[in-house]
Amino acid sequence: MDKNEILKKVNAIFIDILDDENIVLTYETTANDVEDWDSLNHIQLVVAIEKQFKIRFTSKEIQSWNNVGEMVNSVSLKLN
Amino acid sequence: MNEHINYICKRIEVLSPIHSKKLKKNRTFFDERYDELADVFFKKYLRVLQLENKTLDYAIACYLQMLADVTNETVEFLRTGKYTSTTFEEVNKRVYASPGVMEYYMHGLLLSQFLFKHHYQTLTFFTDTLPQYVNTTKSYLEVGVGHGLYLSSALDILDSKTTFTVVDISETSIQFAKNLINDTRVEYNLRDIFDFDKGEKYDFITLGEVLEHVEDPLGLLLKLNDLLSDDGVLFFTTPTNAPAIDHIYLFNNVDEIRDIVRSAGFQIASERSFLSEDVSAERAEKYKIAVLYDAFLKKISR
Repeated sequence: MDKNEILKKVNAIFIDILDDENIVLTYETTANDVEDWDSLNHIQLVVAIEKQFKIRFTSKEIQSWNNVGEMVNSVSLKLN
Repeated sequence: MNEHINYICKRIEVLSPIHSKKLKKNRTFFDERYDELADVFFKKYLRVLQLENKTLDYAIACYLQMLADVTNETVEFLRTGKYTSTTFEEVNKRVYASPGVMEYYMHGLLLSQFLFKHHYQTLTFFTDTLPQYVNTTKSYLEVGVGHGLYLSSALDILDSKTTFTVVDISETSIQFAKNLINDTRVEYNLRDIFDFDKGEKYDFITLGEVLEHVEDPLGLLLKLNDLLSDDGVLFFTTPTNAPAIDHIYLFNNVDEIRDIVRSAGFQIASERSFLSEDVSAERAEKYKIAVLYDAFLKKISR
């Protein structure tokens, strides 16, 4: 699966969990750009992404992402 | 806003922007007394930091470390529906008997009393209700004193002739509470509560966030029922769905807590449930958001 495809799926998860259809993610998007992406929702997002891609992140990964691109990279590394 | 809280929030904005958003939301739950209570608290807490030759930046690092632990535990909880530890032996080794972990945990938890909305709401429920029991409380027992903030409030509120007894299993915790409280009226016992019996009954017992740390919460409440005088009052708090490095007993909902309280021979005099996040009840249930349950209990008359 290429990164654009992963980004598209991650975007759909954000829309579902944060309950906001207007969210448009790019690789550069950070928590500062998405109003409801707080520490609570971050955990829900992590678990939903794991479920979607049937992967498991390490605790180091979960705490380390600075933007959506780094998140997508982590997913990509586990899938490929 | 209290200057120290302000400093903490500004530092967290830099160190953890994602958590900073939650702190901003929490501020709307702090009432008009918040600043005054925070002033009193920081006066005591800064003295503790000074005693230990530490700074507020150290406390912030401890708080963020505690949050990182909670994040990891929560992810695992949402994956499995269970807490990662289930036995006392595991968490004793992992946390209580590990001074390095206890150290950051105590500082982190203490700061959370003024940063988490449900911790602040619980603290004020305790300090608002305790004055009702001043006249009937000649002896006060606290089980699992933790950082000592509840005991510190009780010392301020209760009569000066009241006796104060503490039982805690962690040496780090007792030392931490001693430093925060700095009051010779308190007798500290480094002991497992199940092994504690001085043949005395207590008029008021506090059990703040302890039930989720034991394998047999019903057994603990029965023990406290035995230690409580006939007209005494037990104040306790415990959360539902709250994964943490030292939580072993999972309450799935508030009704499970009420059931155990009744089974232990108590009736509820007053109670509160505080959601840990600012979300709707529907969302809280869907995502298993923690609820902190607090109650003042009396013995069921026989």
